[in-house]
Amino acid sequence: MTTRRVQNYVCTSCPIGCPLQLVHEGDEIVEIEGQECNRGAKYAKQEFVDPRRTFATTVPIEGALYARLPVKLSAPIPKHLMMAAMGEIRKLSARAPVALGQVMLRDVAGVAGVDVVASRTIPRTLCAPDPRAESRA
Amino acid sequence: MFGRMSKSYDVVVVGGGPAGLAAALGALESGISRVLIVEREPEAGGILRQCIHSGFGLHHFKEELTGPEYAERFITKVIDRDIDVVPQSYVTGLAVDSEGTRLVRVLSERGGLSTIECRSVVLAMGCRERTRGAVRIPGSRPSGICTAGLAQKLVNLDGYLPGERAVILGSGDIGLIMARRLTLEGCKVEGVFELMPYSNGLTRNVVQCLSDFDIPLHLSTTVAMIHGRDRLEAVTVAPVDEAGQPILEKGWDVPCDTLLLSIGLIPENELSLNLGIELDVVTGGPVVTSTMATSLPGVFACGNVLHVHDLVDFVTEEALRAGRFAGEYARHIRRPQDTISLVPGQNVRYCLPHTLSPDRTHTIYLRTKKKLQPCLLKVGDLLERKLRFVVPAEMIHLTIKPELLERFYEDRLQIDLIPLTE
Ligand SMILES: Cc1cc2nc3c(=O)[nH]c(=O)nc-3n(C[C@H](O)[C@H](O)[C@H](O)COP(=O)(O)OP(=O)(O)OC[C@H]3O[C@@H](n4cnc5c(N)ncnc54)[C@H](O)[C@@H]3O)c2cc1C
Ligand code: SF4
Repeated sequence: MTTRRVQNYVCTSCPIGCPLQLVHEGDEIVEIEGQECNRGAKYAKQEFVDPRRTFATTVPIEGALYARLPVKLSAPIPKHLMMAAMGEIRKLSARAPVALGQVMLRDVAGVAGVDVVASRTIPRTLCAPDPRAESRA
Repeated sequence: MFGRMSKSYDVVVVGGGPAGLAAALGALESGISRVLIVEREPEAGGILRQCIHSGFGLHHFKEELTGPEYAERFITKVIDRDIDVVPQSYVTGLAVDSEGTRLVRVLSERGGLSTIECRSVVLAMGCRERTRGAVRIPGSRPSGICTAGLAQKLVNLDGYLPGERAVILGSGDIGLIMARRLTLEGCKVEGVFELMPYSNGLTRNVVQCLSDFDIPLHLSTTVAMIHGRDRLEAVTVAPVDEAGQPILEKGWDVPCDTLLLSIGLIPENELSLNLGIELDVVTGGPVVTSTMATSLPGVFACGNVLHVHDLVDFVTEEALRAGRFAGEYARHIRRPQDTISLVPGQNVRYCLPHTLSPDRTHTIYLRTKKKLQPCLLKVGDLLERKLRFVVPAEMIHLTIKPELLERFYEDRLQIDLIPLTE
């Protein structure tokens, strides 16, 4: 017989932020408490079964007004893969022009169907980069 | 057109952030055609250019966008509608000639000083961050201390990390988002310290930016002392008493090379002050009528320059309205004078606009002084609404229909937030 354990979560589905307790026996959910509405139970269940996150970062870009191109994930990935995804993105670089939504990397951290995409359009600029940037480099 | 500036316009918008972009589009909706946006940075988009995380647009577009994506939707529209945008240009002043034409003084990187004629002006200069001086932290003055928004710009636009080991003072959303951002970039975030007994940021950000990365959040705690000669070496943090004063005996030192301040925003009203526009001491922004008109005729205000918003969606909504009224003004359409003043009552820190008129629908924005769970929102004797949860960090908005004001004959309407016990 497996023992009962409690997992604590804070519901992020609305600003109230109910503290939730999910009681489970192994992989089986026994009960969920603390939610003020049923979105809380759904949230705790998702967090217990398959917590997913998305994040944004930047990659270096050449030929643009600024040094970085903002990118995001096209969909959430399992939470524990965030740092692995970050490691892959760190190896990327870009060249202007870049279009909004342009795919910079496919299947990030091995998650099929989730891409790293540009979150803005960057035209090619002929003007010199920020002179302050050079003096600091 | 981007980069084009003529001599004369119907409406000139100061600032090309989300407020300025929406105000320009709103002005076109009123039937005018010549609009100019003056922006001091090399491109439009304002603060959104550096807010690369998602969380924008849920109200306005019903989908979650990153800051740059949200800005791009409006920039595209502005360019499609042939609105002129002049970058690297700064509005330094404004005068009115004998015919009522407004003369906007613009200092630009390429064109030098010039004067632009127009019929009305929209102020959309945004806000700036409170700095260390504003909270007076004792100790030395080493490098390594900056505001969270400046760090956000350094990391997300210029590609520099401010340091390797950071402490964040203030738990507002910008501070929380920077905690995650620095961690993802390989920086060690030692903790977020918040003076208040609760976080000022969204629960979602506390969970996804701190808990997910095991970054501690210390409530009722502040940075009491700064150490280091040339570069920051450590900060002393200490819990605070009821009066918010640090209890130094209970303090401890946290080694770090970077201190980010996320301690609030102030509307950017240098220009408004120079123009003699009446400001509200609580919001830090202009006093406005229900048409978003300031005390200076023909000058309107919206966005963070008016009051600090937490959601850009409301900035857009407010700015579209301000732009429409500025456009009407340029067409010599005058709305009836407001007859009702809207005043903050119990637990209400401020409410906007400052006056209302009974002839049309109004959107009202207000903020609570403290967390109330639950409470009753009362608008005079006209309207009552039960709210489950209000906090200072989240703006409350409501619509008042003209039917409601039809039989209201007084000149003063008070808004209260009355605590309820469950
Ligand atoms: C650091 C930070 C993080 C934020 N994060 C979020 C978030 O996660 N989610 C969310 O919904 N909202 C967020 N917000 C709030 C939201 O982004 C702002 O409410 C919104 O950007 C305000 O728009 P604005 O146009 O009023 O100001 P801004 O975006 O600040 O734009 C003002 C523009 O005016 C220009 N300007 C100023 N003075 C002059 C002058 N004299 N002449 C010419 N140009 C001038 C500035 O260069 C700037 O481009 C954040 C705000 C800040 C400051
Ligand atoms: S359980 Fe319901 S009320 Fe509580 S935080 Fe989640 S969504 Fe909000």
